[in-house]
Amino acid sequence: MNTLPKASIKSLIISCLVSIALAIVILLIAVLPAEFNIDPTGLGKKLGLTVLAQTDTETVKAAVISCPEAAKPADGETEPVEWPDSVMITVPARKGLEYKFHVNKGDKLEFIWKTDGSSLYFDFHGEPQGNTTGYFKSFKESTQSESSGTLIAPFTGSHGWYWENKTNHAVIINLKTRGQYKIKGLM
Amino acid sequence: MHLTYKKTFYFIGLLLLLFNVSCFAHGVDSNTEQFLTTTQGSAILPFLYIGAKHMVTGYDHLLFLIGVIFFLFRIRDILIYVSLFTLGHSFTLLLGVLAQINMNAYLIDAVIAFSIIYKGFDNLHGFKLLLGKEPNTKIAVLVFGLFHGFGLATKLQDFDLPQENLLTNMIAFNVGVEIGQCIALLFILTLLGFWRRHNSYFAFAKTSNTLLMTGGFVLLGYQLTGYFTSL
Repeated sequence: MNTLPKASIKSLIISCLVSIALAIVILLIAVLPAEFNIDPTGLGKKLGLTVLAQTDTETVKAAVISCPEAAKPADGETEPVEWPDSVMITVPARKGLEYKFHVNKGDKLEFIWKTDGSSLYFDFHGEPQGNTTGYFKSFKESTQSESSGTLIAPFTGSHGWYWENKTNHAVIINLKTRGQYKIKGLM
Repeated sequence: MHLTYKKTFYFIGLLLLLFNVSCFAHGVDSNTEQFLTTTQGSAILPFLYIGAKHMVTGYDHLLFLIGVIFFLFRIRDILIYVSLFTLGHSFTLLLGVLAQINMNAYLIDAVIAFSIIYKGFDNLHGFKLLLGKEPNTKIAVLVFGLFHGFGLATKLQDFDLPQENLLTNMIAFNVGVEIGQCIALLFILTLLGFWRRHNSYFAFAKTSNTLLMTGGFVLLGYQLTGYFTSL
């Protein structure tokens, strides 16, 4: 039933050597540069493969920087909106994170957020307090570079955003909020 | 023959449908890791899905399976060998997580890569030519199955699972792995089935298994580099 034509030691050795040689070439040219930034031939860099490994090594950590109240617009014509809480959230390349608020049922969370350019996939959702089943209610799911609105919490629990950065560079979100809530922060 | 293919496709379609259901049941798409670490209690469908996904996208397991069934033509043989593989990896998957055996994922994956090389070499009659006889193929597939199971265990352990309902979730993951393996096998067997009707299958058998070994060597190099750079 096993029908391999002309099995011989010679062809076996050739097969083994060919597979090892091929594997070494693939490793040196593609896998090591792209995965580990090890590039002995220099070809990986020329092919642009080392970029893949570099974004991993210079990891941008997810970060939150709270900003003091932003400077009010110079032209005081339009009523400036006060945002008591303003944060800058860094979403690393190809990573996702959650930023949450504890909001009681019926309380208000007004928000406005904007990225530094790129659109992010996001899911604005809430999880009821004490619920362990992993249930959550999604309020809005989309891919945008900015969003604003007001949430009247349908239940007491943790409400906020899951942002996913599908780009190859870190994206910074400026999130401003006001209302009745407790900041839980980065999850 | 044609009827079985038709049935196969219906079956695949049905399974894919099931997949979507379990996918929607959770919602947040690729955030598997976050889900695993935050989930409490039993979550059968999500773990089923994660297990199946790991198998379908686990090229190391798939390459090994291709090697194992490459020269198996009878359904009965395929079932025996795949069952032995399943028995092996289920045992160590459960053992590894439940007994909290800590292993280096890179080294385990290196052994898995080696299993692909071994099978390619075996398919090239390497053992027959060098030793005069090949080691018992059934025992070999069982033993490598044990290593594949440890590999699966290290992946699950990375997630720092909650202890509550661990067994339920683990079994769900394991069943998911088997579902994933079935789906993958159906695809592989369907494709190989078409190719096997042509003489080129046998003409290319040497090339195919040489490439299989190449894949094994690439994975071996990748895992060992990973191990040494992580030290």
